[in-house]
Amino acid sequence: MSRLQSSINTASADFRRNEAHNRRLVAEFKAKQEAARHARPQRDLDRLARQQKMPQRKRIEMLLDPGTPFLELSSLAANMAYGGESPSASSIVGIGMVSGREVMIRADDPTVKGGAWYPLTVKKIVRALDIAMENRLPVVHLCDSAGGFLQLQSELFPDRYMGGRIFRNQSMLSKMGVKQLALVFGHCTAGGAYIPGLSDYSVIVRGTGAVFLGGPPLVKAATGEDVTVEELGGAEMHTSVSGTCDYPADSEEHAIEIGRDIVSQWDRLPRWEAQREAPEEPFYDPAEIYGIVPDDIKKAFDMREIIARIVDGSRFHEYKPNYGTTLVCGFANIWGFKVGILANNGVLFNDSSIKGAHFIELCNQNNTPLVFLQNITGYMVGREYERRGITKDGAKMIMAQSCSRVPKFTVMCNGSFGAGNYGMCGRAFDGRFLFSWPNHQIGVMGGDQAANTLAEVKANQMKRNGGTVDQRAIDQLWEETRKAYQEQLSAYHSTSELWDDGIIDPLDTRNALGVAISASLNAPLGPPGYGVFRF
Amino acid sequence: MMTAPDDNPPFRKVLIANRGEIACRVIRTLREMGIASVAIHHPVEARARHVREADQAVEISGETPVAAHLDIAQIVDAARAAGADAIHPGYGFLSENARFARAVAEAGLSFIGPDADTIALMGDKISARQFAVDHGVPVAPSVMPTEDLAEFTRQATAIGFPLLIKAAAGGGGKGMSIVRSAEELEGAARLAASEAQRYFGDGRVYAELFVERPRHIEVQVFGDGKGGAIHLFERECSVQRRFQKIIEEAPAANLPAGLRDEICASAVRLAAAANYRNAGTVEYILGADGRFFFLEMNTRLQVEHPVTEMITGLDLVRLQIEIAAGRDLPFAQDAVTANGHAIECRICAEDPERDFLPETGTILHLDAPQAAFLRFENALDRGQRVTADFDPMLAKLVAHGPDRAGATRRSIAALHDLSLLGVKTNIDYLARVLGHPAFAAAELHTGFVVQHKAALAAAEPDEATRDKVLIAAALGLRDFRDLILGVPEPHASIGRWRN
Amino acid sequence: MVLKLDLDGTVHHVTILARRPHLVLSVDGRRHVVENLDEAGDGSRNLTVDGEPVAFARAGSADGAIIRLNGRSFALRRLDAAAEASAAGGGANVVRAPMPGTVVVVHKRVGDKVQRGETVVTIESMKLQMKLDAPRDGEIAEIAAREGEGFDKDAVLARLAAPAEG
Repeated sequence: MSRLQSSINTASADFRRNEAHNRRLVAEFKAKQEAARHARPQRDLDRLARQQKMPQRKRIEMLLDPGTPFLELSSLAANMAYGGESPSASSIVGIGMVSGREVMIRADDPTVKGGAWYPLTVKKIVRALDIAMENRLPVVHLCDSAGGFLQLQSELFPDRYMGGRIFRNQSMLSKMGVKQLALVFGHCTAGGAYIPGLSDYSVIVRGTGAVFLGGPPLVKAATGEDVTVEELGGAEMHTSVSGTCDYPADSEEHAIEIGRDIVSQWDRLPRWEAQREAPEEPFYDPAEIYGIVPDDIKKAFDMREIIARIVDGSRFHEYKPNYGTTLVCGFANIWGFKVGILANNGVLFNDSSIKGAHFIELCNQNNTPLVFLQNITGYMVGREYERRGITKDGAKMIMAQSCSRVPKFTVMCNGSFGAGNYGMCGRAFDGRFLFSWPNHQIGVMGGDQAANTLAEVKANQMKRNGGTVDQRAIDQLWEETRKAYQEQLSAYHSTSELWDDGIIDPLDTRNALGVAISASLNAPLGPPGYGVFRF
Repeated sequence: MMTAPDDNPPFRKVLIANRGEIACRVIRTLREMGIASVAIHHPVEARARHVREADQAVEISGETPVAAHLDIAQIVDAARAAGADAIHPGYGFLSENARFARAVAEAGLSFIGPDADTIALMGDKISARQFAVDHGVPVAPSVMPTEDLAEFTRQATAIGFPLLIKAAAGGGGKGMSIVRSAEELEGAARLAASEAQRYFGDGRVYAELFVERPRHIEVQVFGDGKGGAIHLFERECSVQRRFQKIIEEAPAANLPAGLRDEICASAVRLAAAANYRNAGTVEYILGADGRFFFLEMNTRLQVEHPVTEMITGLDLVRLQIEIAAGRDLPFAQDAVTANGHAIECRICAEDPERDFLPETGTILHLDAPQAAFLRFENALDRGQRVTADFDPMLAKLVAHGPDRAGATRRSIAALHDLSLLGVKTNIDYLARVLGHPAFAAAELHTGFVVQHKAALAAAEPDEATRDKVLIAAALGLRDFRDLILGVPEPHASIGRWRN
Repeated sequence: MVLKLDLDGTVHHVTILARRPHLVLSVDGRRHVVENLDEAGDGSRNLTVDGEPVAFARAGSADGAIIRLNGRSFALRRLDAAAEASAAGGGANVVRAPMPGTVVVVHKRVGDKVQRGETVVTIESMKLQMKLDAPRDGEIAEIAAREGEGFDKDAVLARLAAPAEG
């Protein structure tokens, strides 16, 4: 496999301008992340200290094997919801190594409203458990939650993918033989009580840990019974009387030690042995990605330059290099794992769509995971392309991609517009993981196009109705449409709504994919075969 | 080293009434001589080295293991039942017990040691001392043993100070004290009397002039039981803790030739006068002024006999056996020559940082250096429990060198390379003693360990050493190792990373 | 996860910083590159630490390890969270009957200081005598057990004083 030849001039004005722009975007992202992780009202931090409880992130660090990665998912979930009241959607989710086993770690955040679950908290937990199911990752729950945020119960309780889904997923995981461990550091109230209840193993910390369907105030209101937390659902009671929890722990550190010991008992389910070589750092400096991605989403760039800064040794075996050139396809290795990469170098034409569909089939035939690097404005439109069957060729690509049996990973590198999002494994297509760069924008179309389209429709309407076109009204509509779109298009909006598994610094792409691909190998390949391709 | 068995061994079968390293030591010579060996053991030591190495083993019982090893009737019966024609008592246990020697003889067996009467004579400090006086062997001015404390005090004051007070029947430092003034005397005497009564059932106390900074010099003798006796030179055993030897060497350093001859000659004179048979050791204290005084005679093989063996090239156990069988001394005094210097270190399960208190544990790892100039006398096994049942001495490390400095260097190097893990020992302490300038300068006396206490204390390890120790320990913990090796790729290669 | 080792009364922290390309350990915050990882288990071993060869002997003990290095032996004790928590007054407060039975001996009195694992009461149940131990270090606050008296399953036989607030 030969090394890609970069043609980037790092001394150019374009490069430096792009670099400054992207570094600013990443700095903004990191600042938001830092605030979501650590900015808390002092009284909440004081309360935690008074209870002699460690912050969740410290517990997670203690739980993880030292000197190993932790891929945090959706660190900015809910960042644009609830007026910013629920940083990271009041929970921490990520994949890491515990006692030599890859596990999904899911932790409540007791520093936000006592760890209460907001609707997006529930969505984040359900997604975490979906990931655990899809990739057969054991789950360690770090429980410390007051239960559902009652003011928003209608948005988190009744529907298919709301609260109950957590417990359904927990049950399914257990049935699949994927282990779950609950470490109960604080309260597990109401629905939250079922997390340890449905975990295969549970540890509870004396003094601070408690599990009950209704806390003392609810019990008092319901039955008039006066009861202490300890009597109602403390460690002593649950480990020696009710059997709801298995192991009492004498301190938080002790609970983590017991937890690590429990995980070390777990069998290692057979992994799917993907094609692997010894890993090699990229030949080109990944930091140059900042100078390559343009400062304007409308400017084009060669995705091979990005590939060269993500894959092992910057080596890339390009498939059909002279055909359908707006879709770059080829084989490479990421942290040693063989992958098939599809990356956009422009709008998808008939030939690039067919090439993409064919390459996806090759990867499925070769048991090679797929990595989609999206920068897509859509499939080509126009009479000529419709006559050539752009829709049926795009459908071929969607069919091949949807029915893939190999794991799929998507990175939103820049724009993701229109049906191109579908062909390139957008969120709806059950890729194992989807990450976004901070510059990423997503929508049916771009803000300008949407404003143009709506203005065009409005003008036609005016012409039909009165004959005259109020250009000022049209301009206002255009501006409003564009502004609203622009906000919704942003990566922060996407990630707030959990349309992805988190924004990542472009420089972290290689590691994020490495951990993600490794996690995906825990699940067997899906069933082979496709639907009917339209020829 | 393999030696062909003797054509005409003096005994067919010998029972060793002992255990541990000395039993193994005796078995080695018996095997070389073509004599079958019988070990004895209490049930708790059924799998001990001496039991495995002997040709035959007999179980003896007792409330405690030590009690079993002190049970004369049982051991004599065991020897008879096993068909042994002699018993080697080793050191300690019954080795200086006249009743045992007599019982062995009465059972028609040979006792590899002196006759019962000699043991009795030398076993009583008073009679031994009188015997020495009678035969021109110098003794320290002393008060004869008495239970009359007033008379004792009067005589003691007449000798002058300092005085050493001890139990007349005692040994091992029990009831011993040094009195430096008349004021202290009465109290010390009373204490010695009560301890003597308590430990030995004999309340008589005894006092003698105390020699300041005395050296402990002893002479290895052999007698044929018919008035013939020779010496195998002297040993110095001045380095002691709690009145017990920890480092012994041969020859004694810086001993003027005339003085050495004088001391050795007096020892031979004593042995000859007693018609001494077999191996014995005459112990002296030697003052800085060159005056030496008879201390006692040990009527057995000494713990430290290997240093004599290493400088003379003789096998003392073989000599013992041959003499016990009635043979003559195989050579004359002038045929005995000494070559180089030898040092023995007693490896004990004890904590030098806590006043040498005995330690217990389990031998987890044993790796001893090997060289032609080294002897590591032991009966240790991996997994063996070190309990308070027996003496805390675990092994002896003996090194020979062309001169004293060479033997010291070799001893230090060997101690450095000796790994005996699982119970706290004095190995590192011994190395510090040997490395002390005062040891190199042979400024030795029985208070050496106390005098240099501060300098001999373990230093804090430096940070680099401590870190290495912590790393080595961490890598030995199974789960920490799993933590290193059990992390799969690519996580191991990615390392610590947070996004 | 950080390993805590006690050496001569001082607690040291050992953890892993990296595994590739070399093993890098942190000892009390100091970085050390470890190469030529030795064989597991007890015996004479060799390692390379920061480029220097290190020869040592090792034996694992019940609660740690003994290391002999540069002619000196060091005994190390591993600290686990349970022991630390117990020493800090964490852990259960009660001695509870695992089955119905009668009290044979009450070993401790109210006010007695106890260490984790010390026997507080001996009970007899189903013709079997059983020792019930203190669940943590602490002071006996209450003894409910009376010698010769019977009790039911889960009965609290003794209680430890709650750790002082600090």
